[in-house]
Amino acid sequence: MFEPKRLHPVSAVINFVKGLKDSALPIIALIFLNGNIFSGEVEWIPLLITIGFLLLVLGGGVIRWLRFSYRVEQGELRIEHGLILRKKRYIPFHRIQSLDFSEGIFHRPFNLVKVSIETAGSGDLQKAEAELTAIKREDADELETIISREKNKRTIEEEGIEEDRVVSSREKVYEMKMKDIVVMAITSGGVGVVLSGVGVFASQLTEVLPLGTIYSEFLAWLRIGVLVVAFAAFVILLIAYGISILLTILRYANFSVFLDADDLVITRGWLEKKQMTIPLNRIQGLRIDENLIRQPLGYASVTLISAGGAIQQGAEHQLRLLPLIKKREIEKVLHQMISDYDFDVEWNRPPSRSMRRYILRHSWFAWVAVIPLSIFLFPYGLLAILAAIAFTGIGFLAYKDAGWNLSDQQLTLKSRFINKQTFIMKRKRIQSAAVTQTILQKRVDLESIRVTLKSGVGGAVARCLYLDQQDTRQMMHWYRPNDTVEKRSDL
Amino acid sequence: MWREPAQRISERALSLWRVYGAIQAGVTLLVSIAVGGAVYFWDWPEWLLAIAAGIILMELILSVWLIPDLRWKRWRYEVTEQDIELQHGIFIIQRTLVPMVRVQHVDTEQGPLLRKYRLSTISISTAATVHKIPALDEQEAEELRRSISSLARVAEDDV
Repeated sequence: MFEPKRLHPVSAVINFVKGLKDSALPIIALIFLNGNIFSGEVEWIPLLITIGFLLLVLGGGVIRWLRFSYRVEQGELRIEHGLILRKKRYIPFHRIQSLDFSEGIFHRPFNLVKVSIETAGSGDLQKAEAELTAIKREDADELETIISREKNKRTIEEEGIEEDRVVSSREKVYEMKMKDIVVMAITSGGVGVVLSGVGVFASQLTEVLPLGTIYSEFLAWLRIGVLVVAFAAFVILLIAYGISILLTILRYANFSVFLDADDLVITRGWLEKKQMTIPLNRIQGLRIDENLIRQPLGYASVTLISAGGAIQQGAEHQLRLLPLIKKREIEKVLHQMISDYDFDVEWNRPPSRSMRRYILRHSWFAWVAVIPLSIFLFPYGLLAILAAIAFTGIGFLAYKDAGWNLSDQQLTLKSRFINKQTFIMKRKRIQSAAVTQTILQKRVDLESIRVTLKSGVGGAVARCLYLDQQDTRQMMHWYRPNDTVEKRSDL
Repeated sequence: MWREPAQRISERALSLWRVYGAIQAGVTLLVSIAVGGAVYFWDWPEWLLAIAAGIILMELILSVWLIPDLRWKRWRYEVTEQDIELQHGIFIIQRTLVPMVRVQHVDTEQGPLLRKYRLSTISISTAATVHKIPALDEQEAEELRRSISSLARVAEDDV
């Protein structure tokens, strides 16, 4: 593997498709420019420009493939690319945090994978440090082996340990059942995403269609009755829901988690296979979410908070460690992966005098809105009262679900805004902590706590509101590095 | 144990914040003059002027007088070898604790107005958060920046 290698030819096709996708707008504009192509009158110049443009994108894809080569040399991954400006990128193995594999529809027939290389401190936070668009599966595996062997050799040399580590000791620690995937798809919030997609599509449509006609049609419709509209909306909703269920199942099929030496490896996907590697020492904490539908069913999802180098779009999705699991099984499954995080803890609760504040915080705006709504939209506006009651209920639940626990090295906070969230954090991973208190809360000795962890580029904030002042001060005292000896042992 | 942080920010911050408040009121005044012109030339309703006057008065009382005062009284900080503690906020009082081992870098910045008052703002960054102490005396800020950056020893693998 020491001679320069090219990517698989399919990557030229992938480059082309990607180029097309990136330049979709100018192409569409060009097509509109010679719009009357079917009516016989062809305008040659725009057509030629279109063809030239397509050829350019295609040629670009092929050239990029031709000029891209990678090789492994002297403990580095060396990538060279570029036509006019020859770019060389050498990545030392010890800086590589993880290799992530994914397989799209172009990869599957040829048994290829896309490899994203992530390093500790990528300058560009939006992209992985380097990407091999398409290489053979065996080559990717070989690359992974070489890198982990080199890395291990280095640590052994550094630490002077004789023992030769087994390079790949991959052990499956969790596999998601199909039943769980289906339940997850049904109870997910993905409906909203698809719906907004439909909304965008519809708004595009109105620009193409003759608006005036539609408007008069619409008025006629209204006369037929609101029922029809409601029914149509319902059908659209149902279809959107169905699509989102299908997408989720495709995305999460074969979801399993492996433990490989010091890394967690998550693989998932059916049409497009994804593999994600998370070094254990990059994990900053855990977040457990329970939405309003899943909580009564006893289901929750567990997400890793990781300081990973490159954060790609939708990283949140990728860091789902247990996308859906029965809450009582979390402790057991978690202990096989990350043993030092305790999930089942004894909860301390906010005092009863803060119940009023929780309810007000969640519902005051709804009650305020009720007054004008009821007056100006008289009969239907009264429905707003129901909404306000619902918000009051959520406020009460928020009070019920708030809690905290402090142990030797771990802080656990749970709270609810709409969904219930539980954060499990280690003392030495907390970046900063703050307490807040309004002047009104000062009189009744209530305080809120807010703790920040590092997550990707920014931070993840865990909070718990309106606790007894003594409790928050205990937490701050626990966090304060006041003992030199203890701090040393910590590091 | 739960006492307020010891240090206050510079007293010149008060004058600076009052100037900021005055500038804000000045902008409102300009808008009000425009409204006055509109009332005069195009017969806009006159109660608009009353509202504008009210807003300017409120701004003078709040932004120039009360808020800078309260804000300055509340702002406190303390830097020890182990941690940095901040307290601020008028209605919502916030106290923040940043352990020294979490600090990644410290910056000072100084705009034209701050320079005129020989003040400087210091911002302390951890891997995930940025904390600012506004309007410190120039020299104090410089010393603080130096001492924090020499105290800060980030434990790399924890980040």
